[in-house]
Amino acid sequence: MSFKNMTITPGWEKYMTKEYVDLVERGPYGKQKKVSEMGSFKEVLEEHPMCAGCAMTLFIRLTMVGLPNPEHTILIGTAGCGRLALTQTSIPFIYGNYGDTNAVASGLKRGLEVRFKDQAKDVVVMAGDGGLADIGFSAVMHSWFRKERFTTIMLDNEVYGNTGGQESGMTERGALLKMAPKGKLFDKMDMIGLAQTSGVAYIARLTPTNPTRVASVVRKAVMIAREVGPTFIQAYTSCNIEYAIPTPKVLDDAREIESKRYGFMEIISDEAKAYLDSIDTSKKAKK
Amino acid sequence: MYLVAHIDQAICSETACRLCTQYCPEANTILYDNAAKTAFVAVDRCKGCEICVGICDDLAKHHAIKMIMITDLKDTFELSKEGFRPESWTGQHP
Ligand SMILES: Cc1ncc(C[n+]2csc(CCOP(=O)(O)OP(=O)(O)O)c2C)c(N)n1
Ligand code: SF4
Ligand code: SF4
Ligand code: SF4
Repeated sequence: MSFKNMTITPGWEKYMTKEYVDLVERGPYGKQKKVSEMGSFKEVLEEHPMCAGCAMTLFIRLTMVGLPNPEHTILIGTAGCGRLALTQTSIPFIYGNYGDTNAVASGLKRGLEVRFKDQAKDVVVMAGDGGLADIGFSAVMHSWFRKERFTTIMLDNEVYGNTGGQESGMTERGALLKMAPKGKLFDKMDMIGLAQTSGVAYIARLTPTNPTRVASVVRKAVMIAREVGPTFIQAYTSCNIEYAIPTPKVLDDAREIESKRYGFMEIISDEAKAYLDSIDTSKKAKK
Repeated sequence: MYLVAHIDQAICSETACRLCTQYCPEANTILYDNAAKTAFVAVDRCKGCEICVGICDDLAKHHAIKMIMITDLKDTFELSKEGFRPESWTGQHP
């Protein structure tokens, strides 16, 4: 897509839905919006059926604010809770089969690079821990080994939320879940370590406790994926249903888990760092 | 019947810190009235999770948000009816 494709032919505004007109006229296209401006611009995310108080919903909402060019972005997701909201954005969404998100993203990104030589197109995979660390694991790893230039965001709720509470590779050892009634017997997978081993250019781990940080991490990850190589964000996005967290306590839980074992962490390659510095300096030079 | 978040605009507008908007999981649900310098809730989008209450009480320390039975609210703002038109938000949303 591009903003030009979205703009309404003069005279047709009255036939378009309110939501569409608002998006074109008061949306974030072509002007990077800040988290501090939330509530004052039309967001690309619409209403959706994810549960009340879901931290994953909040994370997705903040991610959409962080995207540097929503009008030139394609999202890829799969079965799991996140796609319930991702499909309700004004960003093209591809529903990959459960397991092949990163294979689809690889082909798509390469195709876009051939088709749009003068316009960067960003590809962002957003899927659950089950989708990326279990069933999609090999496609994720190989996309990293091949240095495919797109961003992978893991919505890590440490459970298969959408199918009623099975353990995933990302569930903590000992966690009791509906479908893991004796407690999980194995450790949480070290996806950050695996990302490092496979040469991912930018890796970040975080929770939604700091909205500005979420948007800035997403922006960095997408920019680096554009020019340097694969990027990976692993986000703790609790499932309040399967972990029985009362919704008013969802952010208290995120803060607690963050301080215990999910602290903010960034690993950035020298090349990626140099690239970020170069866009910073060119921005300053413009001012 | 169900509870939705309601913002006391007299309290909110003293600082209008905008923190609640950034933590509400739902998009364009806590909106910001630039003229009246206050946040307000689009009740048709609020899922009643109460996260914003904790943010206003504990993080912002302003205590401007309460959960109120939807039937007890008068003159509510619904985004699906009015659309996202900040130029028309001039403090008339209680
Ligand atoms: C190949 C395949 N196997 C199984 C399923 C059923 N399925 C749908 S969602 C889901 C679990 C999703 O868990 P996760 O990826 O962690 O996302 P969450 O719902 O927790 O966000 C499963 C197993 C499927 N859709 N396709
Ligand atoms: S089941 Fe869990 S992860 Fe899925 S939408 Fe509900 S709270 Fe969120
Ligand atoms: S957190 Fe409280 S004081 Fe701050 S904008 Fe929201 S309602 Fe107003
Ligand atoms: S109760 Fe939840 S959904 Fe409603 S305005 Fe507050 S944070 Fe948003």
